[in-house]
Amino acid sequence: MIRHYLKLIWNRKRSNLLITVEIFFSFLVVFAVVATAAYFANNYRRPLGFRIDDVWVVNVDAKLPESMVSEDDAVAVVETRRQLHLALRELAEVRELAGAYTVPYGNSRWMSSTKVDGRSVDYTMNGVTDGFASVLGLSLVRGRWFGRDDDAASWDPVAINEQLAAAIFGAADPIGRTFPQEEPEAGGKQREWRVVGVFREYRQDGELALPENYMMIRARPDSFESGPALGRLAIKVRPGTTAAFEERLVRHMQAVAKNWSFEVKPAVEMRAERLRNTLTPLIAGGIVAGFLLLMVALGLTGVVWQSVTQRTREFGLRRAKGAAIPDIRAQILGELLVMATIAVLLGTAIVVQFPLLKLVAGVTAGVYAASLVISALGIYLLILTCAWYPSRMATSIPPAEALHYE
Amino acid sequence: MLRNYLKIAIKVLLRRKFFTVVSLFGISFTLVVLMVATAVLDHVIAPLPPEVHQDRTVSITRASMYGEHSQWTGGAGYRLLDRYARDLPGAERMSVFTSPDQVYSYPNGNKVGVALKRTDGEFWQILRFDFIEGAPYTADDVESARPVAVITRTTRERLLVGAPAVGRTVEVDGQRFHVVGVVEDIPRLRMIPFGEMWAPFTTLKSDSYKTELLGGFSAIVLARDRAAIPGMQEELRSRLARAELPDPKHYTTLVAPLESTFESLARTDIKSESSHAERLWLLMIGGALLFMLLPTVNLINLNVSRIMERASEIGVRKAFGASSRTLVGQFVVENLVLTTVGAVIGFLASLVVLRAISASGVIPYAEFHVNYRILLYGIALTLFFGSFSGVYPAWRMSRLNPVQALKGAAR
Repeated sequence: MIRHYLKLIWNRKRSNLLITVEIFFSFLVVFAVVATAAYFANNYRRPLGFRIDDVWVVNVDAKLPESMVSEDDAVAVVETRRQLHLALRELAEVRELAGAYTVPYGNSRWMSSTKVDGRSVDYTMNGVTDGFASVLGLSLVRGRWFGRDDDAASWDPVAINEQLAAAIFGAADPIGRTFPQEEPEAGGKQREWRVVGVFREYRQDGELALPENYMMIRARPDSFESGPALGRLAIKVRPGTTAAFEERLVRHMQAVAKNWSFEVKPAVEMRAERLRNTLTPLIAGGIVAGFLLLMVALGLTGVVWQSVTQRTREFGLRRAKGAAIPDIRAQILGELLVMATIAVLLGTAIVVQFPLLKLVAGVTAGVYAASLVISALGIYLLILTCAWYPSRMATSIPPAEALHYE
Repeated sequence: MLRNYLKIAIKVLLRRKFFTVVSLFGISFTLVVLMVATAVLDHVIAPLPPEVHQDRTVSITRASMYGEHSQWTGGAGYRLLDRYARDLPGAERMSVFTSPDQVYSYPNGNKVGVALKRTDGEFWQILRFDFIEGAPYTADDVESARPVAVITRTTRERLLVGAPAVGRTVEVDGQRFHVVGVVEDIPRLRMIPFGEMWAPFTTLKSDSYKTELLGGFSAIVLARDRAAIPGMQEELRSRLARAELPDPKHYTTLVAPLESTFESLARTDIKSESSHAERLWLLMIGGALLFMLLPTVNLINLNVSRIMERASEIGVRKAFGASSRTLVGQFVVENLVLTTVGAVIGFLASLVVLRAISASGVIPYAEFHVNYRILLYGIALTLFFGSFSGVYPAWRMSRLNPVQALKGAAR
């Protein structure tokens, strides 16, 4: 059957080649849309790891020079920061607060990497103070959070997410183990990092981002070592606190640190901004792709229509020799589906090169395969829609008339 | 002859309305996408006010210090610009300014965010803003760190509720400024002039910027003419090569490219001498061609179908002695008529789309216009599109065997 279709297609090879080329490009467009959507949908359904209801974020700009901070400046900054934390705790609306290098949906990122058994493990770091886990409702899987008790320790306590624990310690219990750091620069000495807790997840960039290896190291607002890194504050406010509190909050902070700048934002606003920034270009691309496919669908309908009209006598002959209406329709659809299959196979052959050549990062094989299947089905659906009306047209003319149709 | 072709073309187009509509849809949609893309690009890099001297303006926006193991890249610092980029040979004027800082004000309990850019006095000499009220602050104001500010029309509405604003005071980020001028809104994508409020850089809360080689500053340099630019770049490079670095153990080299807005968009490697702007052009042209591939194949398919349908007509004309060239000419004319109609529709549609994008506020203060330059691109694209998609079907048609064609049995 398929061999017969192939023969029929070969007989009209030039126009069919063009149609196949068109389906091939359409397949690429459909795949681009589906793969992007699948990537984000797959990320979206994974656990986020934190909660942002009633969390406000403050960007604290201490107006420090970007390099070469003098000893005196450092002491002054740490003192002001300590007072700032104390002053904020006085406010009745503030339930809990924490300093951090970066906050959820924030734009900064602190990347690090280390070597384990010869392979390199990249991870994202964050320096946070003791309250961070409770402000953001992080869920602990093993061990404990760092806290006041660690003040006396001669090592720095760190907490890591499950994914990083698995990447570095495998199945073994990471609690109490030393976190392997990259070789220090010549002459430099590093404090030991010891894992005290494992948390489920913390996807800093939010719902649409890929899960990643994550580590939080304990920072103290009163030590300069971790001090400058604490550029952000996360505050859990009392439920029902309104935007009017924002102005009071800023004035309160401004009173403590006159020359610093503060930017307060509810975390939900940052989340909305991040979603908008990620989705707007995707939606624009999606609209363009949608119109492209509509154009293709209309075009193919026209082409199939024309070719069916041209072949009216051929179909008339088949019907006169006893073929039923469904047989004729099956032939029209079958020929197109064979062409679509050729186009899809070609497209797949090209599209699978991307992960093989490592041109796409972060898309799992499952998502990629699912996108391929969905795109192929989408193309078949598109073809069937285009061919449905012309195939009815072809069989609506009685065979006797069709035979001498001009 | 041409008149006859046109007549036939219109008759043919009206005969199969479905084909005509689908072709027109494809053509005009393709044109809309390309026109919108060029309008956005134009919006970012075209020499529009306030950047009136853009053709001979170059800027320093980023800098990098690096050594064997360390690299630190960021905005340029005030010290770098002040010490090494001033008085370049062939430079007419130079201005330093910060990148806009998001600051907040709470007029009557509402929160208003404003992008505040701190500049020197020269800023207003190189860039020509459209003042609705008052005038810019001067070099003297900057010198004596007077708390004065220029704001945009929208900022005036949001902070002061109504004109006139000059003489009144606004408080942002805990600092108070006297408004001395009001200008028209500046699109956010115009990186160099953009701000919603401008104030002297000497009003920065801390003066630590004075010692920074890397920091939050940028500079624009107005050259006497375009020819002076390479010399200025060379001079800056050699001055930076001799610069004293604060931490020579880690950082041995300091670079800060001096280039046009488009070049800085195109730059991927801050260390390389050239920004490879041609590469970005090629990429954009390649992207546009790739995008046009599918619409073109679609149009070719439709055209082939349409021609084959007219096989018997072609047979008659061939039998009566029409040459292949005449027939190809006729068909290309038909196709150009079709693309021209599509272009007109596409042009009108892109006006609507651009207006909708401007009004939607997706890009703050964006005012997209179709200018003559864009229209020219559009016409060129349409002609290319029309002839390209018409040539292959016309060639197919001209090769039809007249006897077969008369029977309507074209393959």
